[in-house]
Amino acid sequence: MYRRLPVVAFLLIAVTVGACRRESPEPPPPPPPVQQTDDDEAARLEAQRIADSIAAVRAAEEAAQRQREAAAAAARAILEQRVHFDFDESRIRTDAEQVLRQKVEVLRSSPDVRLRIEGHTDERGSAEYNQALGSRRAQAILDYFLEYGLSESRFVITSFGEERPLVNRSDEEAWAQNRRAEFIITAGADQINPPGSN
Amino acid sequence: MRLHTPRNTMTTRIFSSPLLVLATLSLAVTGLHAQEPPVDTFPGVSLGLLYEGRQLAPTIGIQPFVGDDPGGLASRAENIVARDLRYSSRFRVLDSIPASVVREQVDYALWDQINATWLVSGRIEAGSGGRSTLVLEVHDVVYREVVQTGRFPLPEPSDPDFRMAVHLASDAVVQWVFDEPGIAATRIVFARRMDDGSQDLWVVDSDGENLRRLTMERPDEDGYAINMSPAWSPDGTRVAYTSYRTGMPRIYELEVATGRVRSVPTIRGGDYITPRYHPDGERLFFAVNGGGRSGIYSYNIVRDCCFENLTEGRFEDLSPVFSPDGRQLVFNSNRLGVGTPQIYVMPAGGGQPSLISPYLFSRPGYYTSPDWSPRGNRIAYHGRVERRGVHQILVSEVGNRSRIVQLTDEGVNEDPSWAPDGRHIVFSGERGWGRGLFIVDTQTGATRTLVSGMRARFPAWSPTLTPAVVDGG
Repeated sequence: MYRRLPVVAFLLIAVTVGACRRESPEPPPPPPPVQQTDDDEAARLEAQRIADSIAAVRAAEEAAQRQREAAAAAARAILEQRVHFDFDESRIRTDAEQVLRQKVEVLRSSPDVRLRIEGHTDERGSAEYNQALGSRRAQAILDYFLEYGLSESRFVITSFGEERPLVNRSDEEAWAQNRRAEFIITAGADQINPPGSN
Repeated sequence: MRLHTPRNTMTTRIFSSPLLVLATLSLAVTGLHAQEPPVDTFPGVSLGLLYEGRQLAPTIGIQPFVGDDPGGLASRAENIVARDLRYSSRFRVLDSIPASVVREQVDYALWDQINATWLVSGRIEAGSGGRSTLVLEVHDVVYREVVQTGRFPLPEPSDPDFRMAVHLASDAVVQWVFDEPGIAATRIVFARRMDDGSQDLWVVDSDGENLRRLTMERPDEDGYAINMSPAWSPDGTRVAYTSYRTGMPRIYELEVATGRVRSVPTIRGGDYITPRYHPDGERLFFAVNGGGRSGIYSYNIVRDCCFENLTEGRFEDLSPVFSPDGRQLVFNSNRLGVGTPQIYVMPAGGGQPSLISPYLFSRPGYYTSPDWSPRGNRIAYHGRVERRGVHQILVSEVGNRSRIVQLTDEGVNEDPSWAPDGRHIVFSGERGWGRGLFIVDTQTGATRTLVSGMRARFPAWSPTLTPAVVDGG
């Protein structure tokens, strides 16, 4: 019982003070109870709408990010895709040219990317001369890139000759696989943009 | 040097060699099919083994070695010498005779009876500290006298150089009798490819013993353990080679006794390959490929300075090898057109290269990996037999393009390297039963296996090793 006393006292004081301030302007009428309910609902809906749109934007962003990543991964795959050569040849084959053309587009849209081009041969022929043949293959690819106006400073070429076969067998299929150029990204691996995005 | 008439008749000698019989047969077969187009041979090359001025090997007997012999030292030394003399291809070594049959005193009448022209006797003298001495005598059985005596210090039998010390004695026998260098005290360095694709340099004595790994370096994070194309310095103390240890092929030099490695710096971009020493032992010559240019460069590895450029062009010049007098250079180039490497000789100071491989306009062929004989008169290389696409070993005479001999016909054979006697050649080969290194005697065509059952490539025969090198001094 006595615990309530301070509350009662406070209320009394409040009433007295209130009585003393008669001349202050009328407070605005409280909004109708029904309308108040409507407003709460609208706010809730609005919040929901905002949350939904944020989620949508986020999802779209994430999808776009995923798409960008997928595009970058695809672009990276294009950059790293091997090209193959005919026996004892450093001439660029038609199928290889299609791949190289795609590489050019990726390289144009990804100016920070640098590549090491490695020439490889099959095991037939002289090992030391194959070293030179691999070098000629890497050079043929570099020449192709330079023709499309890419800067020579972005590339390093080398040859492994027959020393690093992809397939360790001695048959036509293995030889065809081993006569190749490999592309190693030496800089700008996190700056790969899909073709046409720059 | 003294000349003796061979005791065996020509007929027995010729037909005692199965290879010669084979060669005769193959020549007969070639003759039968003379009308057919020669698609599977080299133009202008004699297939088979025809040799002029071939001298019949004199016989040599070996008196069982004797001496203070706790560890069977005498018989071990005797076995090594007997095999060395056989591998020299200069003697017909008589079957060994048990010590019980032969008296300790040399019995010339007995050796004469079994047709020995020469005789070797040996004695082990024990010394202090485990070291002993091999006293070797060469006897002329016909004149019944000792023609030469030599004393050869031997390390302890457990010492890795024990065999090499005995090899020095074997080479002395060849030197005394023929006044020619032997090949017993030599080693062959080569690259051995492992299943994981790595390739280190290994070395083996010329009799197939003492196989061991020479390079141990593992690559940088970005590099690859691929070493190739080894070449000996003229004194046999150093080996130059190509390594991908940084990811790009560069030239290195390894000091064999210490394992210390030096590198040739780069003068421009490109791949640095196929190093060889100039006979001065200071300058390394090698090819630099890439950047649309290729050329032969040299660098003084001893003074660590001074790049020089010998050739350069859009074609590839590879594998430069000097003549022993240093006045000429043989190399491999595709300057006639891409895909048909040929062998050229040019003056060391530069000038017009002349073709020595059997090129024909209609059948250009494919010839690479030249090596100049230490005698200066011949150049070995390998060529691709057109239809089968396999390689065989060829030898051209310097200054006579029409004299070319094909040394191998079985399997695939590549990368010939001359022995210091200018007579034997080591090469890498692939047979139906596997791969390995083989040694062929260019005078008779007789071939033996040096190492087998491994992917051994780029063999290079050392010069004759001096006692200082053998002792690691």
